[in-house]
Amino acid sequence: MTEFSPGLEGVVAAQTAVSEVDGANGRLIYRGGYLIEDLAPAATFEETAYLLWNGELPSRSELDALRHEMVAARRLKDAAQAALSGMEPDTDPMDTLRTVLSAQGATKTLAKPSVAEGVALTAVIPTIVAAAYRRRLKKDVIESRDELSHAANLIWMMEGKEPATERVHWLDQYLVLLADHGLNASTFTARVIASTGSDLTSCVVGAIGALKGPAHGGATFAARTMLDSIGSVENAEPWLREAHARHARFPGFGHRVYRTYDPRAKILREMAKTADPKLHQIAAHTEELALKILHDAHPERPNATNVDFWASVVLTGADIPKELFTCVFATSRVAGWTAHVLESIEDLRIIRPASVWIGPEAGKKPLPLEKR
Amino acid sequence: MPEYVPGLEGIVAAQTVISLVDGANGRLVYRGYVIADLAEDMSFEEVAHLFWYGRLPTRAELDGLAAELSEWRGLTEAASTALDALPKDSDPMDVLRSIVSVQGVRHALEKPTLDHAIHATASFPTVLAAFQRRRRGLEPVRPRADLGHAANYLYMLNGKEATPELVRALNTYLVLLADHGMNASTFTARVIASTDSDMSSCLVGAIGALKGPAHGGAPSAVLDQLEQIGSAANAEHWMREARKRKERFMGFGHRVYRTYDPRAKILKEMCARLNPSFYELASRVEETALAILHEEHPERPQATNVEFYSAGVLQAIGLPKDLFPPTFAVARVAGWTAHVLEQASHNRLIRPQSEYIGPEPRKPVPLAER
Repeated sequence: MTEFSPGLEGVVAAQTAVSEVDGANGRLIYRGGYLIEDLAPAATFEETAYLLWNGELPSRSELDALRHEMVAARRLKDAAQAALSGMEPDTDPMDTLRTVLSAQGATKTLAKPSVAEGVALTAVIPTIVAAAYRRRLKKDVIESRDELSHAANLIWMMEGKEPATERVHWLDQYLVLLADHGLNASTFTARVIASTGSDLTSCVVGAIGALKGPAHGGATFAARTMLDSIGSVENAEPWLREAHARHARFPGFGHRVYRTYDPRAKILREMAKTADPKLHQIAAHTEELALKILHDAHPERPNATNVDFWASVVLTGADIPKELFTCVFATSRVAGWTAHVLESIEDLRIIRPASVWIGPEAGKKPLPLEKR
Repeated sequence: MPEYVPGLEGIVAAQTVISLVDGANGRLVYRGYVIADLAEDMSFEEVAHLFWYGRLPTRAELDGLAAELSEWRGLTEAASTALDALPKDSDPMDVLRSIVSVQGVRHALEKPTLDHAIHATASFPTVLAAFQRRRRGLEPVRPRADLGHAANYLYMLNGKEATPELVRALNTYLVLLADHGMNASTFTARVIASTDSDMSSCLVGAIGALKGPAHGGAPSAVLDQLEQIGSAANAEHWMREARKRKERFMGFGHRVYRTYDPRAKILKEMCARLNPSFYELASRVEETALAILHEEHPERPQATNVEFYSAGVLQAIGLPKDLFPPTFAVARVAGWTAHVLEQASHNRLIRPQSEYIGPEPRKPVPLAER
């Protein structure tokens, strides 16, 4: 048995061709060998999802077929619709997503995960996210529009008006950039569940639960909350110094894998300039100071702005309300989760690690209830 | 980079004080107590208390826990609505996954607590019993506060009190299955907990993992295979033929035990008492399976696993086959919740590495040129 490595840091838990986080060189590679900075300007979310599922970018006709398939899968089943309607309007949107997707995937017999199911799960998530949002506002749910892309249709179903091209572009780029990222906690969750021979809905629902955690997908919300709390360029320094003195962590900073600037954060930082110039200004100043404070405290650690920091600015520019940030993250990452599950079941082996016993010596005899 | 370890076999993913699977000596230990010393006399509630609080309860503590469990057996309105809406032919594991998810939204953004553990554990039987009643066209039965966890589950399923013998059998099953080291569903719950997520998210993930046939989905497969074999006299012939077709024997094989699984031993004795017709066939099938497996791989240990005789016990209790896996969850939720609390108390994000086996970087071709 090996030594305990907290967080399984440094343990290789899978072989994958879906994506590679090359932390040493600050590179993220998507399936097929595409660097994220090459792929993002060249592909929409739908093309990226196709790539992750099938191993190659689609031709025009393959892309049209995928869009068609996704549009057809946007509708909620009756059971999922009823589950949604029965929930309190102020339910946490991630809980709504977890529940309604679980109900949507309730079936009679156990099905082996397939690309078609991956497509269907990916396609229906915006419907649930938008409905959760509308219900919070006590407004009627809006039907999806077949001619709109995945990103455009999400905004349409949230707002009921046609979004500006730029906003759709920002959201779509975000969805491309976040679609996969090696063996992060939610993807690993999906792979562990898949390793028992379970169904794709169970894998995705489990992954949603993991993504919900503040240490994972909840970080974009936390970064935006910090920027809101800072509020102005002038307030950045006192705010950060005060937080640092309290030993509070700066949301949006720190990553276990990258030893250089996160390539996604770099792209998002550029987009943030046009997506939300005012917040960009505050964020850029905050970033500079935060990195300086962190460097002074730990000069040995690398540059540490993470994707959540700049994602929070771009999503703000795209007018996505911050209580939906984690759901929008799931809207993107489901492409990666499902691609990982499909890859992992080609050679299924249950993931069952060991634990070390640090409790009392075995064999003590229980006292009968009346003598305790 | 370190080497890839398939299935993380032998990789230590956690330190724990909840249970120890001592495979070499064929022992399962709950917080220091060997399972054989707990199974006969302890109630499920006492074992849950042991997991959650670290010690067996006094009478007053046990009464307190029992009262709290009774109090939280009900479903929320949203959970009842969702339950009524799910198709009657849904896999009960999908029902449990969905209803545990909706039932848990009241603790949406809280860190996992003991209260959450108790609330979730209390409600699992209610979900399953209500679904079972509804798909049979019957009204759900309200839980009875004066009944223990096992007795009340059977009461809600059947609308009448079960015999003490069957209550005791179910209770022993729940105690035996309540935890088992770092199995795939428990590990799933701990990975989810490691992101600082909430209790329900951990449990929903664990249910999804338990659903897999390689984990909790197997008990019904045991019965299916026994039904195909049909009779003790037919066992040897059928099983040798099955081997020629490369079919697996259901209920055999375990990665951890090198001797007979201690839980299987207890369940086997229970089967002999409670379900003689099952026992007659199953014990012959077991004997034959072990002989054939030994012929093929003499180096491997005795391999009857817990699913094999669980099937006979749960059948004797009167559960339909598709309620076996979720009833496994009714037991294991005690362990899952204890592990979540342990993980959350000294947490580090579980984020292993992967080894890239894809092509070297290259440029994308624009859509129009593909």
